[in-house]
Amino acid sequence: MKKINIAFLLLIFLYLSCTSSNYWKLKIEAPGVESVSLDQFKEVIITNFLVEKETKDFNLNQELIDYFSIELGKHFEGKIISKEISWEKEEIIKKEDHWRNLLPESKKALYLTGKTKYTQEIRKAILEQARDRSQESLFYKKGLAQRKFFTLILHLYLIKAQTGEILYERNFKESKSYQNPKQTANFAFYDLMEIIRMKFFRNILGEQTIQQRYLISE
Amino acid sequence: MTKKFILLLILFIILISLFFSCARSVLNQQLQFGIQAAQRDLWDEAIFRWKKVILSNPNSAAAHNNLGVAYEKKGLWEEAKKEYEIALKLSPENSYIKSNYQNFKDYHQSFKKEIDEKN
Repeated sequence: MKKINIAFLLLIFLYLSCTSSNYWKLKIEAPGVESVSLDQFKEVIITNFLVEKETKDFNLNQELIDYFSIELGKHFEGKIISKEISWEKEEIIKKEDHWRNLLPESKKALYLTGKTKYTQEIRKAILEQARDRSQESLFYKKGLAQRKFFTLILHLYLIKAQTGEILYERNFKESKSYQNPKQTANFAFYDLMEIIRMKFFRNILGEQTIQQRYLISE
Repeated sequence: MTKKFILLLILFIILISLFFSCARSVLNQQLQFGIQAAQRDLWDEAIFRWKKVILSNPNSAAAHNNLGVAYEKKGLWEEAKKEYEIALKLSPENSYIKSNYQNFKDYHQSFKKEIDEKN
């Protein structure tokens, strides 16, 4: 009887060791899905943007063109040029003829265009603030705090020059607040563009992201 | 006597299931080999191993799941989706397969949403 019990326990142990299910947690760099293949184009033409509201002491249009010229240049091997177009009507974005006839000789070109709006405002709110920096966590008082708030709206389009077809379209709206009431539009612009850049390039280039998956054995 | 007989019967059942479990573990070696290859970033080798497992045992949920991960890693979305779905069909209660498939779907949906999103 004792022998059977020992054999019984031994077999259970063997059974568990043979049938236990194992898993391995793994972080993989999953490639993103490329929405526009830049390789098929020889040049990217960045047009001036339709600016809905001009910002004082800040040339939004030029800053956008410069920013995209540099950033696209990091990922695109072809030529990047800028071209001024006349924005009589916003509707021209969706007119295929307009883009087809703009530079008829540029068959393998891609237009980067869009409309934009950049705003800034001071917002005031009653917030708890530390009385003294050295006693930060101990003494708080309620006081009127102000924040400088910047919002950048950028509706981007990628248009195929040969057909006038819109290959990519997305409206970005990014906001950021600063404690410094003297924060400049120029500084905030780069912070906001950094967020847009990440999203935009992840969209069009399909950049890799870290994903967690399980590998299993039976 | 009856008690002894019951114990012997249980032993016999365990022995039989042990036999099948250990026969399966031979295939598991291939699975493990694939996992080790994947951990060393040798995804082609891993795919080769897991495909081999599927050839011998088409009902291996683990091999299909692991192939799904490998295809995802290589950006072969359709193949990855197909493998995850087979794995899930074979083992619908397996939490790891469910998690992989759900994360795969979420990732792709959020990606598509990001493209389609119009603020």
